[in-house]
Amino acid sequence: MNLVDIVFYFFAVIIVASAAVVVLSKNIMYSAFSLLFTFFGVAGIYVLLNADFIAVTQLMIYIGGILVLIIFGVMLTTKITGLEMKTGITGKAQYAIGGLSTLVLGGTLIYVFNSTSWFKSPSVPTTSTVEAIGASLLTNYLLPFEAASVLLLLAMIGAALIARRK
Amino acid sequence: MNPEQLKILGSSFLGDLLKSVNLFYPETALVVTFLLAILVDLFTRNRPSCKMSGYVSLIGFFVTAIFLCNSPQGMSFAGTYAVDAFSIFFKWIVLITSFVIIVFSFFSKELFGEERQMGEYYTLIVGMTFGMFLLSGATNLILIYLAIETMSMSSYILAGYTKEIKRASEASLKYVIYGATSSGIMIYGISLLFGLTGSLNLSGINAYLAGNNVNHITLLISGIMIIAGIGYKISAVPFHFWTPDVYEGAPVTITAYLSVASKAAGFAILIRLLNSAFTIHAAGDTINTAWSVMKNVDWTMIIAVLSVLSMTLGNFVAVWQTNVKRLLAYSSIAHAGYILMGVAVMNYTGVSAIMIYLAIYMFMNLGAFFVVMIIANHIDSEDLEDYQGIGYRSPWLGVAMTIFMVSLTGLPPTAGFIGKLYVFTAVLNSGMYWLAVIGVLNSVVSLYYYVKVFRNMFLRGAEKANQPIELSLTVKVILIALIIPNIALGIWFGGLVNWANASAAMILK
Amino acid sequence: MQVVPLEYYLLLSGILFSIGSIGVLTRRNMIIIFMSIEMMLNSVNLTLVAFSAFLGNPSGQIFVFFVMTVAAAEAAVGLAILLALFRSKKTIYVDEVNMLKW
Repeated sequence: MNLVDIVFYFFAVIIVASAAVVVLSKNIMYSAFSLLFTFFGVAGIYVLLNADFIAVTQLMIYIGGILVLIIFGVMLTTKITGLEMKTGITGKAQYAIGGLSTLVLGGTLIYVFNSTSWFKSPSVPTTSTVEAIGASLLTNYLLPFEAASVLLLLAMIGAALIARRK
Repeated sequence: MNPEQLKILGSSFLGDLLKSVNLFYPETALVVTFLLAILVDLFTRNRPSCKMSGYVSLIGFFVTAIFLCNSPQGMSFAGTYAVDAFSIFFKWIVLITSFVIIVFSFFSKELFGEERQMGEYYTLIVGMTFGMFLLSGATNLILIYLAIETMSMSSYILAGYTKEIKRASEASLKYVIYGATSSGIMIYGISLLFGLTGSLNLSGINAYLAGNNVNHITLLISGIMIIAGIGYKISAVPFHFWTPDVYEGAPVTITAYLSVASKAAGFAILIRLLNSAFTIHAAGDTINTAWSVMKNVDWTMIIAVLSVLSMTLGNFVAVWQTNVKRLLAYSSIAHAGYILMGVAVMNYTGVSAIMIYLAIYMFMNLGAFFVVMIIANHIDSEDLEDYQGIGYRSPWLGVAMTIFMVSLTGLPPTAGFIGKLYVFTAVLNSGMYWLAVIGVLNSVVSLYYYVKVFRNMFLRGAEKANQPIELSLTVKVILIALIIPNIALGIWFGGLVNWANASAAMILK
Repeated sequence: MQVVPLEYYLLLSGILFSIGSIGVLTRRNMIIIFMSIEMMLNSVNLTLVAFSAFLGNPSGQIFVFFVMTVAAAEAAVGLAILLALFRSKKTIYVDEVNMLKW
């Protein structure tokens, strides 16, 4: 087992364990902090896959943005003093249905991953992906890039409108 | 990539960009309108209920329509966006609906009753229109995803626009949760498709599938996941959970908007995906040739099953509904089922039947929701029980609603009949008799609940005739403007049919 | 130089997706549901980056970039709606939000 393998398993264990805590924990704060480790682990895997730009973006957007937003959401919707933070699961029936459909989904995915011969091209040694991404964003993917700006503006206007009191 | 290479890449792209800008005028007009509506709203902020940005949006839509009339055709933006007759047809449906919805909003007591800031409302509608324009022409999976999200993001907020009403914010929350989950499933499907074919462009995917051997179960699963995301948008069973709640909770204008425009855009992308990515096209294809399916994945059967489920569930559950908005929600699920029959046919006759159906569906559904809104303005209720005697209190509303209901059922001489006729003909021509039979049986069931509305309006509560509902002249004009196409398209449908037939072909084959 | 095979990355992402879907289907706290949805999106990103690296095609990473953009916007809008609901109803539990039938 060489170093890359060990690093992969290290991050994989972090991801799976912390994701399980997010979903199963009774305390919503534990869930939120556990999500930090999931995001961090995924960023680690990106580094392993030579996706340096995406790894940094992952840290900045998910941990710096989305997670902070979620923690704000937790704080704003729970009475800090009352500590009414029940996060239990819904009825047994829903639990069973949820578990079953997840099993089906997971099983299908694993079957698919193992049985498919994926499109493979001769491995290209990549140095940095930033250049390629930057060039593509302003050439082949110019329209999605511009559409994303409209989407962000819409979301900003909408979120401010909905969250504002009256 | 060294600076020299970048330079070459840039200059080769510049020509394409200049060409693309010419094809992109309608969308550019929409973005400018979007920004202007925000700006105008800033200056009229201290006057709540000011309709200024609404008028700006209407003018913007008008300008867009002019550009759309003269739009050239071609592929643009490095093959990510197709401007073809097919997408232009859907853009017209979206544009007309957006225009009508903003006009409707001016009459909504629900929206203008409180001292509410209305600037964002118009802005969001314009933004959503932009998203749907992109969706009807997108040929790249990244753009498809972004366009769907632009459309969804605005509709989440619009559904909860009357946020002090609890049922509106509940509806909006359910919409977000279901929407985010379904789009997650959709992009998982997209990522599998990317892994299989190594391309995100529909043409690239098509070329790879045609020339190489791929695992067809994986292809099937990724396709189903993508169809689940789109099925959510067109509210096909079993991805319809959100529809009744959101349609009931959202403001009536938004309900009408979601039931027509976002459904049309969803169908546009569903057809384009099946046609451009998953089927092989030979040079000599005529309008009646069935598309030959790639890798023996039976999309026809999958779509047909969705169609039967949607029709049956929509129609049967609608029978029990007591809230008119909820009733129309289930009716719109059923109509998604009828339209899906046209998709299941998988040839250009089917596509043109769908286009005819959607154009007609737009007029009848908008009409029905307009009447619901006007009635709610006067009696503050959307309950079927409270509709008793409306036909006597206001013959205008009663007669108009009856015409729209007849049209929705699909009886001659209304336009709805023509829509159904073409879809059923396409299905019969392709030999799927069982599907046509199920469709006809469903139409019979639908007659029951549409008649229920009529019965409450005219056959009950005659004693309420002494409390007349007075309608303003503009409302009457709008009612007439909505009734005319419902009748006229039932008699003179040649123009629409020719236009749809001419538009069914797509550039990207 | 890639020693960990592609399938391992895909399996990891499949597991993450399944865990996320358990959260969406069984939890009743809406913030946890949002977190689970973010995990599902992360697993999609993982698949895309893995394919992108093994295909030598940067398009996958560009897709990831856009998914992140949308995820951020979606989280902002979702939490804003959650706040609005909390103000009017003082609950964030799915099963207590039942004025409309599920």
